Amino acid sequence: MMNFLVFCCVVLPFIVGLTLYCVQNSSLRAMLVPTAVVVMALAAIGLGAGGPFHMEASQLFGLPTDAVFTLLDFLLLLYILVLGWNLRSRLVMGMTALQLIGMAYLKSVLMAHDIPVTGFAPDGLSLIMVIIICVVGGLITIYGLGYMDLHEEHLHLRTSRQPRFFAIIFCFLGAMNGLVLCNNMSWMFFFWEVTTLCSFFLIGHDGTEEASKNAFRALWMNVLGGLAFVSAMLFIQKSMGTLSTEVILQKMAALDIKSTAMLLPFAFLCLAAFTKSAQVPFESWLCGAMVAPTPVSALLHSATMVKAGTYLLLRMAPAFAGTTMSTIVALFGAFTFVGTCMLAVSQSNAKKILAYSTIANLGLIITCVGINTAASMVAATMIIVYHSVSKGLLFMCVGTIEQRIGSRDIEDMRGLYGVMPRTATITAIGIFTMLLPPFGMLIGKWMAIEAIARAAQAMTPILFFIALGSAFTVFFWARWAGILISSPSLYEYPVKGFQKPTVIFSLRMLCCVALLFSFISPVVLKDFVGPSVEGVYARFNLRVEGFIPGANFTSVEGYSWIYLLFIMLALGVWFAWRMSRKVPEKAHALPYFSGLAAREGDEVGFRGPMNVFEPARVSNYYLTQYFGEEKVTHAIDVISIAFLIVLVGGLL
Amino acid sequence: MLSILGALGGVILAPLAGGLLSGVDRRLTARLQSRMGPPLLQPFFDIFKLFGKAPQATNAWLVFSAYIYLLASAFALFIFFMGGDLLLLFFVLTIGAVFQVVGAICVPSPFSQIGAQRELMLMVAYEPILILVFVGFAMCTGSFSIADVFKLNTPLLLKMPLLFLALGYALTIKLRKSPFDFSASHHGHQELVRGVQTEYSGPFLALIEIGHWLDLVLILGLCALFWHTSVIGMVLLVAASLFTEILIDNITARLTWQWMVQKQSLLVGMGLALVNLLWLYVA
Repeated sequence: MMNFLVFCCVVLPFIVGLTLYCVQNSSLRAMLVPTAVVVMALAAIGLGAGGPFHMEASQLFGLPTDAVFTLLDFLLLLYILVLGWNLRSRLVMGMTALQLIGMAYLKSVLMAHDIPVTGFAPDGLSLIMVIIICVVGGLITIYGLGYMDLHEEHLHLRTSRQPRFFAIIFCFLGAMNGLVLCNNMSWMFFFWEVTTLCSFFLIGHDGTEEASKNAFRALWMNVLGGLAFVSAMLFIQKSMGTLSTEVILQKMAALDIKSTAMLLPFAFLCLAAFTKSAQVPFESWLCGAMVAPTPVSALLHSATMVKAGTYLLLRMAPAFAGTTMSTIVALFGAFTFVGTCMLAVSQSNAKKILAYSTIANLGLIITCVGINTAASMVAATMIIVYHSVSKGLLFMCVGTIEQRIGSRDIEDMRGLYGVMPRTATITAIGIFTMLLPPFGMLIGKWMAIEAIARAAQAMTPILFFIALGSAFTVFFWARWAGILISSPSLYEYPVKGFQKPTVIFSLRMLCCVALLFSFISPVVLKDFVGPSVEGVYARFNLRVEGFIPGANFTSVEGYSWIYLLFIMLALGVWFAWRMSRKVPEKAHALPYFSGLAAREGDEVGFRGPMNVFEPARVSNYYLTQYFGEEKVTHAIDVISIAFLIVLVGGLL
Repeated sequence: MLSILGALGGVILAPLAGGLLSGVDRRLTARLQSRMGPPLLQPFFDIFKLFGKAPQATNAWLVFSAYIYLLASAFALFIFFMGGDLLLLFFVLTIGAVFQVVGAICVPSPFSQIGAQRELMLMVAYEPILILVFVGFAMCTGSFSIADVFKLNTPLLLKMPLLFLALGYALTIKLRKSPFDFSASHHGHQELVRGVQTEYSGPFLALIEIGHWLDLVLILGLCALFWHTSVIGMVLLVAASLFTEILIDNITARLTWQWMVQKQSLLVGMGLALVNLLWLYVA
């Protein structure tokens, strides 16, 4: 049974992708995509319900799986090498060649007489990830069906490139599932590189000059991460004689004193994770990725790609618990958090705001990983879950808005509620689920602050960064929410839109998921996240430092606070809504303009000299003179590179 | 059950206390300016008058935001009286602050929109300080629960004097007292009319005003936590904090946000808080 479910999650998406690519039929696509998504989601939930398991998976279609993966590893690297040749990039070719040499050495010399490794050994964390990937990623794929039709209409394409697009997306989802489920690091590496390649294709999908440029940047940065991954595998195989994640972690956790030689591969893995999760100084590839069609951004930012990096860190965290390296990782994450929050303040481009906010939240997750206590692990997992849902939703909203109003600038979204009230409301809900209690993200952040405050090392500077970053977070979210609903009329009466049913379905569905998941956050915490971390701690005999993960939240008192807040706010929102709808139409007043207020159409302003109407023009503070990209990015790059040098160099 | 009823009672009585304190504020301010000042109950008269006015609003979201702001303030106070979690209290306070900004931005008026942007600056200035102060509480008591403060035998003021000063900074900013009053000022001569509150009038302004009273009570309550061992100490501390706020309000001029965020909040406020946290950490 487990065999079948894993097959549905990992191999099936590749088969579906291949089918979509070969059969270029749009009606088949409209049928196959939702069906495949439903099958994958059901399989993921089935896996999740079954709990942790072990699976050898020594044969795939009658072939030895290990050999298949070895072959695929080499083919993939060769393909990237050819790609580097086509792009005329010595950087990509050089790094890929190094990876090839490393892999060849690893397979032929180090692993020549290796005992077979358990193929799949997912624990609670992997299963949570699989569910996120299949459910959130699946909804985004369905959204893509409607979105891409309109997108190609705008581009006036003669032949549709959708088959290629959806084929890659399915491979991407399959690779992500494989990455989080498998136990053998060399298999994991294959999936890791597939996500790199898929993101390269997807970012460059539209084929414009900018798209190609940004796709190339994503490629070389992630190939650098791949190189770090290969180096880590070499060192691990050399020092521990196995590539089974489980065995490695058991051996590392059993060590009392972790020597620098033992920690070095994990520093490389951190580096690989930082590139994939677009931490500074690698943040530019994720910011550049917004040139891709919106479903791609939504996927990269929420369920896939960047979460692969944080997953790897969470997975490997027990290996470096209680070391200085861990503290450096925490400081690095906190620095990324505050740096990118500042950058987000200076942006008016909605996708860029979302991108920087993603990087910031990943930084927060990495801080939690670096703190490396049971409580902080729970916080990190919570943030991963809720960030995926809310960020996927917000990206889909921005894409929908952009297709309607032709802009992704938040200044152009003033009064959006009057144009597309439902989407504006869903966007506002998305923003509030990122920002305010009692929604899941905030519960995660709450736990993160608690975990940091109880941490033993370097707590004060980390707290300083987190406190400052949180304040900036409020800055850029709150004004966006306000802009969306701004209006000079008392009530707005919506005009009928022309949205595709798949788009509407995905938006509403994910919005419901965001709200519902937040409502049951104590249950998620107690029944999924808590046990998954406890499982890790029990398996590797790690010390739980006097604080049971999530105790404050899963106790009766914690439950009641969250539910009370939820119920109070729900009642409050309902009541406030009722009261605001009761204001009679005759109570409508123009805004204050020192007695000169006037209105022409949708514009409000005042009567100037000669009785000329002057519309009021207002814009947000973006503080570009302080936080502008060109002002801050350089300093952030220098400091973050210093962090990376300390992280790796400190061990040498 | 009794504690819940007590906390609810506290929330219901808090507007009375807040209104009175606001009356005291106005009297003291007047005396500092060599005026007689209004009667002590003037704030209540004002509120009654506001509630009697016909409603006027530019859009429905304004009204919505006013109610949510009041609700969030009341709930934050309820958490405080229940001895709940300080971080939860902080986040609930954020709801209120965010909806005040949302209410101001949703009207196409330059006065309230710039007021809202400035209010966001205020939040950037005071929120980090509040988090650090609450972490200070956690370091002294071992948890973020307010109830646990009362299990200590010595006043927190002895352990966190600098954090108390930092809290004072944060509170002056949160209450929009001069020199930090640039997002909405009581004084009629500022260029933004009333900043974030420009577009509120009548009953909706009354809601905002009551929310502000609740905030005042909550903030002074937080100050009182620093000397929880004696009632006289609490009263003294609250009276001293309030008087200092009013004094500073009257003897300083409003300054720019750069000055506030960079010099005052980041350097002085967070500096004080960090030094105190390090001290708690080492001790």
